[in-house]
Amino acid sequence: MAELPPALSGFWVTFSTMFKKVNTEQYPEEKDKYPPEPRFHGRHQLNRHPDGLEKCIGCELCAWACPADAILVQGADNSTDQRFSPGERYGRVYQINYLRCIFCGLCIEACPTRALTMTHDYELADNSREKLIYEKEDLLGPLTQNMVSAPHEMVPGTTEKDYYEGKITEATPEQRAEVAARTDEESEAVR
Amino acid sequence: MSGGGADWNGTEMGLEEKLPSGFMLSTVEGAAGYARKNSMWTVTFGLACCAIEMMATGAGRYDLARFGMEVFRPSPRQADLMIVAGRVSQKMAPVVRQVYDQMPNPKWVISMGACSSSGGMFNNYAIVQGVDHVIPVDIYLPGCPPRPEQLMDAILKLHAEVQEEKLGSNRVKQIAEEEKEALVAVPTIDQRGLLR
Amino acid sequence: MSTTSHEATGSDTPTVKMITGTIDGTDVTVPEGTMIIRAAELMGVEVPRFCDHPLLDPVAACRACLVEVEGMPKPQPSCAVPLGDGMTVQTQLTSEVADTAQKGVMEFLLINHPLDCPVCDKGGECPLQNQAMSVGRPESRFTGQKREFPKPINVSSEILLDRERCVSCARCTRFAEQIAGDPFIALLERGAQQQVGTGEEPFDSYFSGNTIQICPVGALTSEEYRFRSRPFDLVSVPTTCEHCASGCSMRTDYRHENVMRRQSGDDPEVNEEWNCDKGRFAFPYLQLERLATPLVRENGQLRRASWPEALRIAADGLAAARGRTSVLTGGRLTMEDAYAYARFARVGLGTDDIDLRARAASDEETDFLSGEVAGSCGPVYRELESAPAVLLAALEPEEESPIIYLRLRKAARAGTKVFSLGPFASQGLEKMAGSLVECVPGDLATQLDQLDDETAAALSQPGAVILLGERAATEPGAFAAMSRLVQRTGAEWAWVPRRAGERGAIDAGCLPGLLPGGRPLTDETARQEIASLWGIDPDELPATAGRSLAATVAQIHADAKAASEAGEEEEFSPELAALLVAGVEPDDIPNADQFLTALDSVPFLVSLETRPSEVTARADVVLPVAVVTEKSGAFVTWEGRRRPFGTVMPQPTSFTDAVVLALLSDYMDLATPPREVDDLRTELGNLGAWQGSRVSPADVPAGSAQQPGSGEAVLASWRYLLDLGTMQEGEPHLAGTRKPAVVRISAATAAANGVEAGSRVRVSTDTGAITLPVELTEMAENVVWLPLNSPDSQVLVSLGALPGDTVRLERGDV
Repeated sequence: MAELPPALSGFWVTFSTMFKKVNTEQYPEEKDKYPPEPRFHGRHQLNRHPDGLEKCIGCELCAWACPADAILVQGADNSTDQRFSPGERYGRVYQINYLRCIFCGLCIEACPTRALTMTHDYELADNSREKLIYEKEDLLGPLTQNMVSAPHEMVPGTTEKDYYEGKITEATPEQRAEVAARTDEESEAVR
Repeated sequence: MSGGGADWNGTEMGLEEKLPSGFMLSTVEGAAGYARKNSMWTVTFGLACCAIEMMATGAGRYDLARFGMEVFRPSPRQADLMIVAGRVSQKMAPVVRQVYDQMPNPKWVISMGACSSSGGMFNNYAIVQGVDHVIPVDIYLPGCPPRPEQLMDAILKLHAEVQEEKLGSNRVKQIAEEEKEALVAVPTIDQRGLLR
Repeated sequence: MSTTSHEATGSDTPTVKMITGTIDGTDVTVPEGTMIIRAAELMGVEVPRFCDHPLLDPVAACRACLVEVEGMPKPQPSCAVPLGDGMTVQTQLTSEVADTAQKGVMEFLLINHPLDCPVCDKGGECPLQNQAMSVGRPESRFTGQKREFPKPINVSSEILLDRERCVSCARCTRFAEQIAGDPFIALLERGAQQQVGTGEEPFDSYFSGNTIQICPVGALTSEEYRFRSRPFDLVSVPTTCEHCASGCSMRTDYRHENVMRRQSGDDPEVNEEWNCDKGRFAFPYLQLERLATPLVRENGQLRRASWPEALRIAADGLAAARGRTSVLTGGRLTMEDAYAYARFARVGLGTDDIDLRARAASDEETDFLSGEVAGSCGPVYRELESAPAVLLAALEPEEESPIIYLRLRKAARAGTKVFSLGPFASQGLEKMAGSLVECVPGDLATQLDQLDDETAAALSQPGAVILLGERAATEPGAFAAMSRLVQRTGAEWAWVPRRAGERGAIDAGCLPGLLPGGRPLTDETARQEIASLWGIDPDELPATAGRSLAATVAQIHADAKAASEAGEEEEFSPELAALLVAGVEPDDIPNADQFLTALDSVPFLVSLETRPSEVTARADVVLPVAVVTEKSGAFVTWEGRRRPFGTVMPQPTSFTDAVVLALLSDYMDLATPPREVDDLRTELGNLGAWQGSRVSPADVPAGSAQQPGSGEAVLASWRYLLDLGTMQEGEPHLAGTRKPAVVRISAATAAANGVEAGSRVRVSTDTGAITLPVELTEMAENVVWLPLNSPDSQVLVSLGALPGDTVRLERGDV
């Protein structure tokens, strides 16, 4: 390219761009084409054991680690008729205030049971403060085919150790029967 | 953005079939909402790091012009939308309010990022704990800072609300209803947990 | 009153021999017998420890505190080896040997300790966690199977034990044995299997909560606090216990405006480091249903009202009844609030009808409290500890003032003789190794007069103490008899109320005929002092002593009777036209029915309460007031010691009684009295002690016990520490550790009434009956004892009888 007058060289930039690939992301129409990076810090998720019991033990270490004080946890005792997690303790109250959360990920590093992880979901905007405080039921991961929702008993004959060693793979028929036997009112009361 | 009937808040009254092709029916509210949401001009209000993401959203890769929003006005008098991007210090609060007051109605506010929504991690005396202490906020956007897609998501959610907005006596009725709801809502001092 | 100038009874304490040793190359001089670990502490050298506790005997169980002592072949436990004269000690700071030894012990301790810190209640405030950080290895070398136990087990309904976490330091078992005297838990097994366990009986001690606090790991936890919070999100505020007149220093931990737990504070002069389970666990009542707004009565129904509206109605009603109003304060107010009532009654209401006693009381007691107790200061805890002999009259310390019990037990272990006048030797007395002077209720005054020579001689030793409980009010002549005994023996004495606020309210002048600061209403100088303090003319003060609670109730009934006789056409003006009632629990008052009907028939009733009660249900105006966590103030212990405390959780919407009374004064167009705690305290403090003449108690003849006929017995009764008290509501686990309600009679009385061991006994009066299992006890003949306010045994309500009355006794239906 020989020396073009400066005015024309400007137009040349414009002209040549017409033959380049468009770099505009067509959000939201084509958002699947631009997934976040694998390590992206999105909305949190409270995971479950393979049989559907919750992994959260209500230890509040996430709340302790949080630099923005965005997490509120209150633990409670698993009673004999209502078991939410293997072992003694579960998280009765779990709230994350997404208006405070800075998505730094210190909470998921602090979690001793890998109950808390982060998803790639980032479309969180909403129109009130109340809606942006996520409760436990908003944060709990989805139930897969093999899971039944807590509360229910542990797999018969196992201890919490077996859960952490990964020996539990799916909900047993006993657990399914127990959850199925729960009436709607009972499920509502649990909530 | 492609226009078309699908985006209109058209109320189907059975008249469409009787019209010659090329005509479309809608309410005045639907038409006004459509017009408003597709030419929303933003007042420049970058306060901190979130502003960088907001600028990126306006640039070529994300291209807010697709939504008719490429104009960031330094003058509030020609703006419809205020994107409060960044932590609002106590000293900035009156400025925010003044700029907001200078905007003509109808006007909307997006609180972008944790700091402007709630003070974020700056829970201290210097920072307003949420810009909604100063001006009414229509959309809260979490993130620190939110990535451009998140801002666009917030903008689209706002658009959806604008499209639904009422006019005239309907608007008066709507305001009265919202006022009634607000009066019986739990006051902040009685709220528990993180809402407090 | 004042808390100054307690005569130091230990003025002739032997001089302590001081010795000098060397720790880490620095000379340190300490009293002989000081353990190395304490001496090191004095120098600022922190030796790790688990089992060591300054108030427990050394045991050297955990071996964490090993130090090198010159001349000894092996490292020595510094918590159990006293520093010798010229001894050279090297701690982990200067000695490789000590350091290695400590690290080795730490590694051993951690071998069997589970890694469940995230779920452990102690996590975050755990000595083991902290010391594992400072002297533990970063990684364990132990790869085997850790010791496992089923977890947790209930050692009582409140206390849980997790044996996996235990490091066998024996703090809990030593506490139970040495301090509380309830050795229901002990170390079982040996070696790696060594564990804390209970025998057949559960660990039902009134002091079990202390074991949780002193446990250096999370092995002992409470049902109440379990998993509810973590130490790092608790806000701790020092405070004073509101449950009894012991005045324990406490720490209240709250989170999100809910009290999560309470722990005993450290005050060597009062509760040392201990408190009772009631003080520790009985706080959920604070969070039960509260009165949120003022209530006013409209068309017979209470409805919510605004403060101005309710204050206006209350002020108008009280102003109309000026001079014809009675004030009942109850025994749970802080000293400052009580003072505000005392002032409001005299200035605002123009009445002297004010009584703090919501319990059995007598005129004799009124005189005694006004003349002898108000503003005085008797022996203190330390003097109990050094007393050669202590006589308990109408007082059961373990049940009615637990910290006195702990001090007396500590004293008894050091040689103090404890004597108790009562119908039988209670468990508490046995744990104090005390001796019983048998005394049937009603007979206390006679027994005090006829005390046997041995006991009297013991009480004649310098420093001996007589403790008189509040139940003496039902014993005719007891106060005069005690004065005679004090004269005879020269012993010190103290009056021990049960409720936290009674002593302060007496000092503040909440008794008929008694102005603040122990000043008699009838004394001209006293009237002038008080009048100038309150900015009024002395003549405006009521001229004569007012009515007690019982007299008030009687007057209202008399008014009601007169009104019904007067008929409708006549204008009838009652003697008592209004009542102002603070925290009064009707069930605590003898003849609760009459009290309640009096509340029904009094023309105007204003209630200042925290929670809905039987009084608020009958009130014309209810004004909500702050609970103890929402206000500051001071309680006064039985010693006369002021125990000020600060606000735990400030609530902008709740007012203290004093503030509400000040608002009422405003609405009644009176000069505003001081309303802030500091101002009230200063005003009361400026008053100073009363030097003038006092009410001299009337010489009431000593009463003697009633003589029951056949099938009858004399009723003896007192409260268990854990009973049906309203301030224990909301905590079922604590309620589970209540002692079971039983009827106690002697074997001979049982045989005479056809009662066998293991059967049930029916105790009845014309009012009602109580049927409970019998426990044959070595006790006085023809006396029946049952708990005063326990489940299935509410003596005042069911029997309508007081201790000393005669009741019928028969075999209960099986």
